[in-house]
Amino acid sequence: MQPFSFHRPTSLDETFSLLEQHGDEARMIAGGTALVVMMKQSLFTAEHLISLDRVPGLSGIRGEADGLHIGALTRHRELEMSPVVRSAAPFLAEVYSHVATVRIRNQATVGGGLAHADPNQDPPAAFITLEARVKLVSRNGERLVPVAELFSDYYETVIQPGELLTEVIVPPVAPGTRTAYLKFLPRTEDDYATVAVGATAQMQGGVVQKLKVALIAAAPTALSATVVEDQLVGKSVTPAAIRQAAEAVEAIVDPLDDFRGSSSYKRDMAVVFTRRALERVLQDGA
Amino acid sequence: MVSQYQVIGNSAPRVEGIDKVTGKALYTADFSPPGTIWGKALHSPYAHARILSIDTTAAKALPGVHAVITGRDVAGGMYGRAIKDIPVLALDRVRFFGERIAAVAADDEDIAQRALDLIEIEYEELPAVFDPLEALEPSAPVLHDGASAYQGMKLPEGAPPNAYSVIKVDRGDIEAGFAEADVIVENTYHLPRVHQVYLEPQSVLIWLDGERVQVWTCSKAPYNTREALATAAQIPEESVVFNPTLIGGDFGGKATPSDLPICYFLARASGRPVRMILDYTEELMAANPRHEVVVQLKSGVKHDGTLTARQVRFLVNSGAYAGYKPAGIIRGSNQAAGPYKIANTRLEGINVYTNTVPGGHMRAPGEPQAFFAVECHTDEVAKAIGMDPLQFRLLTLVEEGEETAFGEVLQDVLAKQTLMAAAEAAGYYSPKAPNVGRGIGIGDRPPGGGQGTADVTLRPDGTVLLTTGVFEQGSGTYTTFRQVISEELQIDPERVEIEVQNTDYVKMDSGLGGSRGTRIYTTAAYDAAQAAKTELIGLASRQLEWPEDKIAYAGDEVRRTDTGESVRWADLLARSGDTVSGRGHIQDSARPHFTSFTAQIAEVSVDPETGEVKLLSFTTAHDVGKIINPISHQGQINGGVMQGIGYALMEELRVEDGRVTTLSLGDYKVPTIRDIPPMKTVLVQSESGVGPYQIKGIGETPIGPVAPAIANAVADAIGVRVRDLPVTAEKVFQALKEAKA
Repeated sequence: MQPFSFHRPTSLDETFSLLEQHGDEARMIAGGTALVVMMKQSLFTAEHLISLDRVPGLSGIRGEADGLHIGALTRHRELEMSPVVRSAAPFLAEVYSHVATVRIRNQATVGGGLAHADPNQDPPAAFITLEARVKLVSRNGERLVPVAELFSDYYETVIQPGELLTEVIVPPVAPGTRTAYLKFLPRTEDDYATVAVGATAQMQGGVVQKLKVALIAAAPTALSATVVEDQLVGKSVTPAAIRQAAEAVEAIVDPLDDFRGSSSYKRDMAVVFTRRALERVLQDGA
Repeated sequence: MVSQYQVIGNSAPRVEGIDKVTGKALYTADFSPPGTIWGKALHSPYAHARILSIDTTAAKALPGVHAVITGRDVAGGMYGRAIKDIPVLALDRVRFFGERIAAVAADDEDIAQRALDLIEIEYEELPAVFDPLEALEPSAPVLHDGASAYQGMKLPEGAPPNAYSVIKVDRGDIEAGFAEADVIVENTYHLPRVHQVYLEPQSVLIWLDGERVQVWTCSKAPYNTREALATAAQIPEESVVFNPTLIGGDFGGKATPSDLPICYFLARASGRPVRMILDYTEELMAANPRHEVVVQLKSGVKHDGTLTARQVRFLVNSGAYAGYKPAGIIRGSNQAAGPYKIANTRLEGINVYTNTVPGGHMRAPGEPQAFFAVECHTDEVAKAIGMDPLQFRLLTLVEEGEETAFGEVLQDVLAKQTLMAAAEAAGYYSPKAPNVGRGIGIGDRPPGGGQGTADVTLRPDGTVLLTTGVFEQGSGTYTTFRQVISEELQIDPERVEIEVQNTDYVKMDSGLGGSRGTRIYTTAAYDAAQAAKTELIGLASRQLEWPEDKIAYAGDEVRRTDTGESVRWADLLARSGDTVSGRGHIQDSARPHFTSFTAQIAEVSVDPETGEVKLLSFTTAHDVGKIINPISHQGQINGGVMQGIGYALMEELRVEDGRVTTLSLGDYKVPTIRDIPPMKTVLVQSESGVGPYQIKGIGETPIGPVAPAIANAVADAIGVRVRDLPVTAEKVFQALKEAKA
């Protein structure tokens, strides 16, 4: 690993100053589970690492009227085990339980994971389908960005230089919302997904009131599959309609060839698992 | 059956277990003589290239760097275990991606890495060959022009290019055998390279301490590795001392000399003790993985199930060098016709050089490859004549007194009994749900031989010291020693202390490997205990003036058989301040006339829409001798089966244009405990075995038939066959798609 300077600011203000001072040569570090591995493999080098561990107010989970506020430095495991999350948004806790191993989840942070923007990570499947937003703070103020619009490319986000992801806000989950997260792990249980699909839905009298679908490991970014949603919302559910809607993901996926499968296989599997996720959330007894 | 033993046959905790789980156990990386610095090697970024120039000026100038060496600084040193064909550092040519070209010793690992980055090398790329079949073509680039000059090399006459070993066996009349057949089945199977994935990477520390070369390294065959190091460094073997250290996992891979010669030359150039530890990228890129093998099988069979002929072509991709293999080649070809009765057989076994990472040893070298091919093929032959795979095997497996496919006659053959035991335990014929299948794999191997020594010393405080030259890799040999001594001297196991000696102990000791540990070391320890008892009786006779033939050893005492008088031997020793010792030495490399069968049955479900294979249960039956330590024995079975599951379903060192691309354990996956299905073990007691307790080996037998059992179960479940490992969901999916088309 190349030598670097390690900074531990104690306020947001000081953090912004360090970012201004070091510009491109600086990188923020939270849990470090991804960054340190990349630095060890020389995939990434930084002159300055700015640790957020001493900046107050970035960690913890609050339930408020507009939903759950999850601090960026909250550990995966804390979110997964949180009684507040388990009662207000159990689907979120469930999806987090699929991330890596307990040891990683004890260290990795919610904000760090999102900012890392690895398209293989599980959490966006929950955040996108629960319509969560992230808060991006800078010297000049703050803005809210839907998680569905956070990722711009492979390991890239819309977070601007000088901006910091401080929290995730998950709006209240409507009663009766049905959820599914299907992670396809054909090699070993300890792996990134070959493809994964998250879905949330509300049904009334056999008609789809609301539907959100997200795909993981199927493109350079986590995908919000609005093409699927548009085909089914407001319609009565039939097996044929589900099959047809699932096939629509073929047009939006762009999977990479890797050790978890070829691009063409992942494309086929994206359709299969989208259909299965839709069956789970739209069909009774499925 | 009431056991005649008190200690042997009862589960015993590990001698070194508490130290391991409390972190007190010492491994190579824990040793650090004053002034120790880090060594690191530079690996070739080409699969085949000429080295035009190397400039180390900038690397040498980096602060904190103590030595930079290249092929010019190693005196033409070549190394290897049997065939010395590996240059310590490439001189003018590299033959695989990852080959070591230069090395640096520096204050720490990061500085060493930065210095490596500063070394400038000019290459001229050469045409390369990666595929073992292509390497045999007359037009293939030749890797080793001067192969016949290598120490230990016996080149076969008239062999194709790059083939450095060709074994041919002809038995019966193969043409007549095929002519006699009703059906001929011909298949090709492909087995990928896999890594041992020991927790502790290859590690070494070398310290030139005056006249002696002090070595700490994770080698389970320290005497053999010492020879390889001494030859490479061109120094007398006696000047080298391998010091005891525990080994953090082995699975066959931990007797490679890999970085030892480099480490020696770095220590010499820097005048400091040098430590080298591979990181896992280097491990996966350039250690000593299990070989890629292509197996071509052709069988003639009659409609009644009689096998009339079988032809085997077993093509081993050795990689760029042969030196990591203890015998220069791997076995397996002799197993690739299976334990079946076939009158006419032909074998061609070829080891061939290619521009890929050299293979070494991994648990049962060659056998999982052979078993996969022949056991899948057996199912395919059975299918061709419309016979149930279990019935077909019961019809064709060898029995007592019959010759195996390559003419060996074995005693106490329990092939069918072991298979039936597995079938019954697995409920082989019970009804199956849709897309669920069961598959069989069977194979055999006897325990290996070698030489080993043990000394037993009875001490005045009533304790007993067992001295050994074994460096334990986790298979439980120290515990076996303690059990044997405790049994034979009739004392509490807690009173037996194990002392591990460095390589000055004896002239030669084979160390662990080849399922020889229990065979060799129970015999050595048993003989040492008997010799020590004899010595004690002699001492008692002298001291007490008792007639020697009237003295018996009885636990804590020596007893006079005619008068019934007895004396505690500890008191006897305390009186004179003496100790008594006995040595056991065994040298026995003969292949036993018995073997040990493993029959396994996998039950899987296959998702027809995705190809995903789920292992529902696994049954493993073993024909066993006396089991010394049941918990360790079961551990070997469980671990072997798990490793076999990895081989079957997920493990593969992917190689693209000669370059290993699975360079982390995130990409190269091994099974975790969540991937392991419910397992059932059945032990079939055999009347035969070797050594004082009539044992059979268990270290290697459990891994072999796992993959074919799983592949056969997949075929049974869903009607498609995958002939190249691993059986991934995608391959099954593709096969299903092709079957539909």
